[in-house]
Amino acid sequence: MTMNRREFVRNMCYGGIATFAAPRVSFAQVAQNGRLVFVLLRGGFDGLAAIVPYGDPDYAALRGSFAFKESELTPLDDTFGLAPGLSPLRTLWDSNELAVVHAMAIPHRTRSHFDGQAILETGLDHPAGSSDGWLNRLLQVMSGRRSGIAIAAGMPLSLSGPYQVESWSPTQLGAVDDAFLERLAVLYRADATLQNRFEAALQQQELVGEEPMARGTARRGAITPLMQAAARILRQDQGPNIAAMEFSGWDTHANQGMAGGALDRLLGQLAEGLVAFRTAMGPAWQTTTVVVMTEFGRTARPNGTRGTDHGTAGAGFVIGPHVTRAKVVSDWPGVGQNALYEGRDLKPTLDTRAVLKAALSGTFDLTAAQLDRVFPNSSTVRASSGLML
Amino acid sequence: MDVALRALNRFGLGARRGERQRVSDPRGWLKAQLDGGAPSLHASDVPSPGVIGDAVRGLRMPGQRDAQERREARRHLVELSAGEARTALEARISSDRPFVERLVAFWSNHLCVSSGSKILVAPLAGAYERDVIRPHVLGRFEDMVLASAKHPAMLAYLDNFQSIGPSSPGARMGQRNNGAKRGLNENYARELLELHTLGVNGGYTQADVQELARVLTGWTIDGIGGPGARVPQSTQARRANGAIRRAQPQPGSAIGFTFRERLHEPGTKTVLKEHYKEDGLAEGERAIRALCRHPSTATFVATKLATHFISDDPPPAAVDRLARAFRSSDGDLKVVARTLIEEPEAWRDDARKFRTPQDWFVAVMRAFGANEVNPNAPVVLRQLRQPLWSPPSPKGFGDAMQEWADPDSLLNRGELARTISRQPAMAALDPRALIEVVDVPAGNPLHSLIADTSIPAPERVALAIAGPAFQWR
Repeated sequence: MTMNRREFVRNMCYGGIATFAAPRVSFAQVAQNGRLVFVLLRGGFDGLAAIVPYGDPDYAALRGSFAFKESELTPLDDTFGLAPGLSPLRTLWDSNELAVVHAMAIPHRTRSHFDGQAILETGLDHPAGSSDGWLNRLLQVMSGRRSGIAIAAGMPLSLSGPYQVESWSPTQLGAVDDAFLERLAVLYRADATLQNRFEAALQQQELVGEEPMARGTARRGAITPLMQAAARILRQDQGPNIAAMEFSGWDTHANQGMAGGALDRLLGQLAEGLVAFRTAMGPAWQTTTVVVMTEFGRTARPNGTRGTDHGTAGAGFVIGPHVTRAKVVSDWPGVGQNALYEGRDLKPTLDTRAVLKAALSGTFDLTAAQLDRVFPNSSTVRASSGLML
Repeated sequence: MDVALRALNRFGLGARRGERQRVSDPRGWLKAQLDGGAPSLHASDVPSPGVIGDAVRGLRMPGQRDAQERREARRHLVELSAGEARTALEARISSDRPFVERLVAFWSNHLCVSSGSKILVAPLAGAYERDVIRPHVLGRFEDMVLASAKHPAMLAYLDNFQSIGPSSPGARMGQRNNGAKRGLNENYARELLELHTLGVNGGYTQADVQELARVLTGWTIDGIGGPGARVPQSTQARRANGAIRRAQPQPGSAIGFTFRERLHEPGTKTVLKEHYKEDGLAEGERAIRALCRHPSTATFVATKLATHFISDDPPPAAVDRLARAFRSSDGDLKVVARTLIEEPEAWRDDARKFRTPQDWFVAVMRAFGANEVNPNAPVVLRQLRQPLWSPPSPKGFGDAMQEWADPDSLLNRGELARTISRQPAMAALDPRALIEVVDVPAGNPLHSLIADTSIPAPERVALAIAGPAFQWR
């Protein structure tokens, strides 16, 4: 008898092939309601080009040829507007599900991608050669049903650590047909240690799409298909509820462009991907929070190659129904010459950990002590107030 | 468990067809591999130091070049890195001393550099494994660590080449010239303690890290220009040209290690309660040898070896025996490797290790009898999440099952197995011949599947290498 892949997987997962044990790891524990997606924009995302402080009196002079006109922007308030590419986010803003955080930075000053990403992903206040990621620590300290998944081409540091997590990526290394997977599953049944893991892989495939090429269509770099694939995994009642995702291409040293330019097109993809994610989540969106962050902002002024260099503070997003209301959360330092950090970068006035702590406590039942275990040495860093319901 | 397969797969890099019968004395076969000299590569396979030097310099001065020159430098780099990766992988795939090659990979990962986080490392990573790891893999641990400390790849990767003693003449002069503040970079000193020698709980303090960083100031890269390369001239000469001469590296010249006294922090330093009187380069050499002889280092290294060769949760008795061998031999890695072979725990039936992606890929190639790798191999390793010489952090790649046996990776191996098995070169391969390289008990369904001629042969090949038995060593 031949089954198609869908039938095969369903039978496997739900008892049609009787000898399969229920997966230990992924889909069989008690409910914890919240869902969290941490999206890391690797490379240093230019906050000033994305969330534009058009109302700051020093803005136009500072950005020079990079200054947007108010008419090009989607205004959020008297000071800030969304860059043209981000205009799809307007719908999230209008439904009070988008908080923009600005002038935010990791707690340690570095302009190194390596150190910056390590700090953001470990949740520490200094670069360390080896540490668990803060999402993994979150899984360790939480109680109730929880399960983490990397929806990325590799295992991001943020999710790495002793708590076992799952993974799904659009990386497809070749086409496999049902007959092959079926036989491979027979082999895996003879291995008590790996059997459940292989089942979980087939199950995730099933969640992501019915077409056999689902992996192939969500190619690396294309944000919307990957966000949709993520939603198909995360919206399941018994699916993973903590996810790490990442997108690169933000290191815009040269020719970052204005409306319609390289960065703006990437911003457009990001905005469309985030909106598509909300749609694809369906009712599960009601319990979901998405946090978007980057390792550092970029220099406030354009450089000599029509781009920007590694800077300090930047912008990010907290998205979801748990957000208090549409708002820009920032203790805005201004962009006058004397206001800049070291005379060149947006000055940090908000700690990434304050935003993450707020996002976590707005999404899950966590005590302050638990949050301090997720972010070691952070007891003096309070969750940003007014960000989350 | 088949003892010959245990030697070939666990200690070696995967059995080749026909080897299982040839290895009649598994322990003797492993020990004999330790008796040859250092496992060096053929000189004809490796790029010259001048070519590597040019590639590094090509990365250092991108600002002053036009697009054509940048493209050229980029092409040069890609070609160089691809060649190095191919040479290193082919050494693993075709080696007749696979235990020694596994040790090379192990130590290369222990003292890792990563081209993933610092592009400057990319042209140097192959040379690093050749110059630092291979000569000492059967020699003394402290000689290996010292060679690592002085290699441009490590100096660049963990920033020591930019570390300047805050009270050194170089720091003072730098401030006078351009006002820029330069000083100590603790990165290498910290990882040397945390990851290379004592281990994170090895009994050192933040003060030790800083003092060790001071000891190691002035250890830098020669041949790339940059701030460290300014050479002071006599006062007279300085008056004459009114400037400080900057050393200009010649095209085609090698890059290497140099100690710059004027960047070195003067004075006595104290690391792990040991005082180091001002003694220039010798201070650091003495300090590194002391770290390597520290009792915590023996335990740290022994634990890591036992984890790699025995089990993710290594038996304390085995760790103790390895640590003792390390200490009593003054870190003689040949003695330590021999102790590993004698370690009864490594031969137990229930001890097994999940193959990392690199291990799996190399084992597949060996099982197929390949002697060379496809130019795509480095890309495949990246897709399998373990790119050569590009671990995500200075900690190197882990080798625990927890880190590699995630569901998606198992599926990826299945997909890749199917892709490889479809290649025309595989057509002649009889799947039944593969069963001898896989350690499967009688009654395992692999036996019947692989003999089932109603299944196309390429698919049976894929099942052999994608099935769970092949994922273990």
